[in-house]
Amino acid sequence: MLPTPFEFERASTIADAVSAVGQEGDGMFYSGGTELLLAMKMRVIHTERLVDIKGIPGLDRIVLNDANELEIGSRCTHMKIAGDSVIREHVPALASLCANVANVRVRSVGTIGGNLCFGEPHADPPTLLGALDARLVLQGPNGTRSVHADDFIRSELETVREPDELMIVIIFPRPTGPITYRRFKHGERPSVNVGMVWSMEAGAHSIKSARVRVGALGSRPQPLKAVEGVLKGLPVHDAHRAIQSVLAQALDELDVNEDRHGSADYKRHLAGVLLLRNAEEAVAMRGRAT
Amino acid sequence: MSSVRPDLIEKVTGRAEYITDLTVPDMLHGFVVRSPAVHARIASIDTSAARSMDGVVDVLIGEDVASFGCWGVVLKDRPIIAIDRVRYVGEPVAIVIAETIEIAENAAERVDVGYEELPRAATIQKAMADGAPLIHEHHENLQDFYFKGGAKPTQGSNIFHTYRNNVGDVDAAEAAAAYVHEDHFTFPAISHFAMEPHAVIADFKGDSLTVWAGAQTPTAVQKVLSRLFGLQLAKVRVIVPFVGGGFGGKASVKIEPLVAGASWKVQRPVRVAQSISDSMLTCRRLGAEVTIRTAVDAKGRILAKSAKLLLDGGAYSDTGSAVATKSANRIIGPYAVPNLRLEASAIYTNTVPGAAFRSIGGPQAVWAKESHMDNVAAAIGMDPAEFRLKNLAARGERTRPDLRALDMDMSELMGRVTQSFASESQASNRRSRGMAVAATDPANTPIANAIVRLKIDGSILVSVSSIEVGQGAHATMARIAAQTLKQPFSAVSTLRTDTAVAPYDWGTGASRSTVVVGLSVENAALDAADQILDMVVDVWELPKESLSLVEGGVSTGSEVLTFHQIFHRTLGVDSGEVVGRGAITPRSKKGALAESPLFWETSAGLAEIVVDEDTGEIHVPRYASAADVGRVIDRVAAEGQDEGAAAMGFGHALYEQLEFEDGQPVNATPIDYTIPRISDVPPVFDTILVENGDGPGPGGAKGMGEGAILPVAPAIANALFSAYGIRITDLPMTPEKVWRALQKRK
Ligand SMILES: Cc1cc2nc3c(=O)[nH]c(=O)nc-3n(C[C@H](O)[C@H](O)[C@H](O)COP(=O)(O)OP(=O)(O)OC[C@H]3O[C@@H](n4cnc5c(N)ncnc54)[C@H](O)[C@@H]3O)c2cc1C
Repeated sequence: MLPTPFEFERASTIADAVSAVGQEGDGMFYSGGTELLLAMKMRVIHTERLVDIKGIPGLDRIVLNDANELEIGSRCTHMKIAGDSVIREHVPALASLCANVANVRVRSVGTIGGNLCFGEPHADPPTLLGALDARLVLQGPNGTRSVHADDFIRSELETVREPDELMIVIIFPRPTGPITYRRFKHGERPSVNVGMVWSMEAGAHSIKSARVRVGALGSRPQPLKAVEGVLKGLPVHDAHRAIQSVLAQALDELDVNEDRHGSADYKRHLAGVLLLRNAEEAVAMRGRAT
Repeated sequence: MSSVRPDLIEKVTGRAEYITDLTVPDMLHGFVVRSPAVHARIASIDTSAARSMDGVVDVLIGEDVASFGCWGVVLKDRPIIAIDRVRYVGEPVAIVIAETIEIAENAAERVDVGYEELPRAATIQKAMADGAPLIHEHHENLQDFYFKGGAKPTQGSNIFHTYRNNVGDVDAAEAAAAYVHEDHFTFPAISHFAMEPHAVIADFKGDSLTVWAGAQTPTAVQKVLSRLFGLQLAKVRVIVPFVGGGFGGKASVKIEPLVAGASWKVQRPVRVAQSISDSMLTCRRLGAEVTIRTAVDAKGRILAKSAKLLLDGGAYSDTGSAVATKSANRIIGPYAVPNLRLEASAIYTNTVPGAAFRSIGGPQAVWAKESHMDNVAAAIGMDPAEFRLKNLAARGERTRPDLRALDMDMSELMGRVTQSFASESQASNRRSRGMAVAATDPANTPIANAIVRLKIDGSILVSVSSIEVGQGAHATMARIAAQTLKQPFSAVSTLRTDTAVAPYDWGTGASRSTVVVGLSVENAALDAADQILDMVVDVWELPKESLSLVEGGVSTGSEVLTFHQIFHRTLGVDSGEVVGRGAITPRSKKGALAESPLFWETSAGLAEIVVDEDTGEIHVPRYASAADVGRVIDRVAAEGQDEGAAAMGFGHALYEQLEFEDGQPVNATPIDYTIPRISDVPPVFDTILVENGDGPGPGGAKGMGEGAILPVAPAIANALFSAYGIRITDLPMTPEKVWRALQKRK
């Protein structure tokens, strides 16, 4: 099928792109197009104007900034993140996440910004970025604002972003402990995924704090508060057992949709399986490091 | 390079032409408006808004072509386009015909159709229930139209065909048996998922019609269009360029009448190029409910087998009746069973029409039969391989009196796949193995013609109606002609399929082309050879026995006469050709081809699996597939066919199901429907092709390309059963299903 007719504009600056989308009628940013064009061809998205942001310089940078934070430009493709040396050094779990998103055609043009802005619940990056405590920087006609990854997706296919706000960059503190991520999929997209990030002092044997996010079960990634609570201040080697002790209760608190990816009890169970496997990996990683 | 298939060169260089690469002068584009209703009366169709759009030429609706009546290949149940009623979601209700595809698609949104819902029957159970709504009020059988025979519908019901075959006395055998075991299995609808969706260009000009279609059976398309529109067969021309996958989904007749109807309306060429989603709403494999029962004696010999198969035929019958009949034949397997009670019915439901699909009725039957075999073996405490070996029919033995005796040794195939795993000792505790075997009777209709033209320069043209759908049939025909005429493969070209040029053939399917069309090519080549030799006999006055074909000409024993010399001297001018004709009919070879099946298509599969017990996910690190193919003509193509069939089998086993919720398709898009990728194919995959040169085809070849799909699902299920004692009875074996079965066991 083909999309309904639309205008096409190429922006060369952020300001141009923002104002082009904001004009009369419905405009939309066009990045890799991997979600957008499919939806337009299926005629579930209609837009009068596509504003191509591929020509805007500087949106695909990856750096460790002076504040010891990682910055990932919204236009970075999954392929680029997967192969980037800074990411591979500091956040290897994110590199491997991106290396396994979708298929090679999607990875080579699809971007992390496009992934987040589409708000698809069965997605990988939002889960890990939530665990990494990332903030997403949006630029609109009235300047920029940043939104926590946890607060960005409002509901299925809906985010807090205004139509004329462009996502510029994703920023998160350089991780200090093990980062683990696992997904379960049988088909194209993840049915469940779990990201866990431990903050640790250099050389320490206990976890200063932990962030755990479970994705794809509801409309957006959910924290496992009970697990985070029990891990706080805990020696690494007790982590696995501690998680097990609160797991049933923690999983019970998750909102789980029953959908084509499986029934609720199965997916809830899978979340526990993935979390425990993450924990084993994190313990092993820390064991290696110290 | 000379032996590389020419079609592959064209494909990798991007030169190969498919339907959507063609343009016909003055061509318009059609976009199909489809029913969103499961079963409904069409109360109104308003096409005025669409018609008023710039660039829209016309809109075809049912009442325009109602007077042509219905068509079908076994039952005449299908209108060109829905007239007053729709029977499934996706049924065409209008075609917008416009100058461009964009205009047509945009205008299609403005066609306003009013539906009044009717009671629906979207599953086998609902369609068979008392008081079920009738999806077709009456059944009109077309005897011997496409296949020999026809359908046996039950009037006043949704059952459009029932086939029964009884041998011996099952009741008596069961009464005397030491053990009787019954199982029930289900099998889902599955999409063909060819990379190239259905695409057709039709060009009606007065009393003649030319159709470009990716049709597997061009002469069936020709015949249906001729009858439907009242045209002479010779005035209906079907041209088939390269076809991007068929798997049965482009066999018999699909959207050709619809597109021809559109062209008839505007009297200009019209193209309809469907999307994959459209094609997922065009046809699919028949789902099935199977009850199977086996009686064994104290020593583990099978005394009797009975099976009842209900096949979900969807809203229009297509070839569903043949699928049902074949499922009953294919559930016997390569076993010697003295008493049989077989019954298979095809049932209308308000879902996408069922159709032929790689080994019709085979996967449904073999899934049930081979899973059941391991259940029976377990119940009597016998090793499943031993149980099979004990009950195999030997070469030369009949599995049913009305079927040709087995022409192969299944124990050889079982041995070969087991040997393939022998390098690695027994499976570990975590790894387990399962086996399954199949013997199927392809409906390979021994009717074909071929023309082989030998030209003065020694180049050769082969003309057949077989289509090139990626399987390599055209190169195989060229190879057969080259070998028969003793000329290099590079001298032979096979013409693209065109019924105006190629002689009649039944069609491309049922693993028949290499054997049946191949034999006709061989005959045509021999006929051409005969004519050339006769020229030498005549002009050079030499005895025919002293002559033989050699590369580039004819050897007389003392010298080689080039084809050039022969034609020149015989005809007096420096040009010419001989036209060899070859035909295969049921009477050929003293009737030896008439008995069904022409050969047995057989396969054995051995799977090794590893299960993630926490998630239920099955991994298949290793698989071996064996088939008796008689003789391999093109190894790369033959292995590709076997591996491709097995890979499709992995889809059936682990991933695929075209789902309906009360008749609404749930996942009929390539985004939601999962097929295996190359990374899902077992990393260790052994393809074993047994060659005894004992097939009926050229050089002893048998047909192949369908068999390997059959053992995959039951082999995996049997491995699961052997490791965990869990028996999955419905496909696909998704992780959740396996996990639940593991949970239940605990
Ligand atoms: C077959 C397939 C499989 C997939 N599998 C997975 C998977 O396994 N896991 C997973 O996580 N994802 C998966 N995806 C999603 C994939 O990650 C996204 O398609 C891709 O990252 C989107 O990026 P894009 O640049 O193509 O976005 P586009 O399609 O260009 O845009 C998507 C949306 O975001 C908006 N947008 C894009 N960039 C910006 C920006 N910088 N600022 C504001 N708005 C913006 C667009 O207007 C549009 O609404 C899959 C997608 C496909 C098609």
